[in-house]
Amino acid sequence: MTTTGSPLAGRDDEPVAFVDRVELALPARPELLFLARMTAAAVASRADFGYDRIEDLRLALDELCLTLLGGTLDERRIRLQFRWNEDTIEVSATLEGGAVWESSAVTGPARDLGGGSGLDGTSGLDEADNGGLPTGEPTAPAASNDLSERILDALVDEHGFEQIAGTPTSWMRMRRSESP
Amino acid sequence: MNAETGFDVTETTREGLPVLEVHGEVDVSTAPELRSKLLAVAQSGQKTAVVDLTNVTFVDSTALGVLVSALKRFRSNGGDLRLVVTQPHITKVLEITGLTDVFAIYTSSTEAAVGA
Repeated sequence: MTTTGSPLAGRDDEPVAFVDRVELALPARPELLFLARMTAAAVASRADFGYDRIEDLRLALDELCLTLLGGTLDERRIRLQFRWNEDTIEVSATLEGGAVWESSAVTGPARDLGGGSGLDGTSGLDEADNGGLPTGEPTAPAASNDLSERILDALVDEHGFEQIAGTPTSWMRMRRSESP
Repeated sequence: MNAETGFDVTETTREGLPVLEVHGEVDVSTAPELRSKLLAVAQSGQKTAVVDLTNVTFVDSTALGVLVSALKRFRSNGGDLRLVVTQPHITKVLEITGLTDVFAIYTSSTEAAVGA
């Protein structure tokens, strides 16, 4: 489910108590994204999540970063913050030195990808014409990868995007057990 | 082989069809190599090919995009792109993206090559 309510750090009305926090900053280069996934897996293991949820978090984190970057990976930096307790892991991903785009492009209900084969020329899978790979030109996250949105919608409990002082930030919240 | 992700692609043949056996993690970093291999197979005149994901430990949306793009190309030439998937977490990604309804998916490369 996608929501517009951000659980980002520093909110005065933060309803969830977290027991620990890990931060990772890395260049937004394709060959380094595996480091973000490794960290996600380590955090999920530390939070005593099961194997399936660890795999879910690895994939969701990867997609969160891809969505944040809007299909463009370059020499900017991604700063990831993981926070967790016995039930929930929250991740925020901030793009440092990044482009500015409208947050409404990402938050809100998942877009309809056509619901069918994705091969009819009208669905979000048309991005596959370039293999879903970065094009080199910055694009808004919503246009970059509908598959990412669909994966995030399925794997995490909440996710969203917002600008904080002009800095693009994506976030997600995943609970230990998959939502029914 | 990519040292960090274990990514590698090897090409074999089953029942006369090219089979790309993929290993390791297929992400935004390694998907371009898979795309190149698929493109080479398509350009060689093969109408149908098999991608064996049995030894793949991770796929993301960029990997799926490459597979869908290749599928379009093969089908536009009157052929098909068949997948071999045995890992539950790979199946799960295909399911949540709706791609289990798009690809012909098999549990072994031999079955995929025969198409049964």
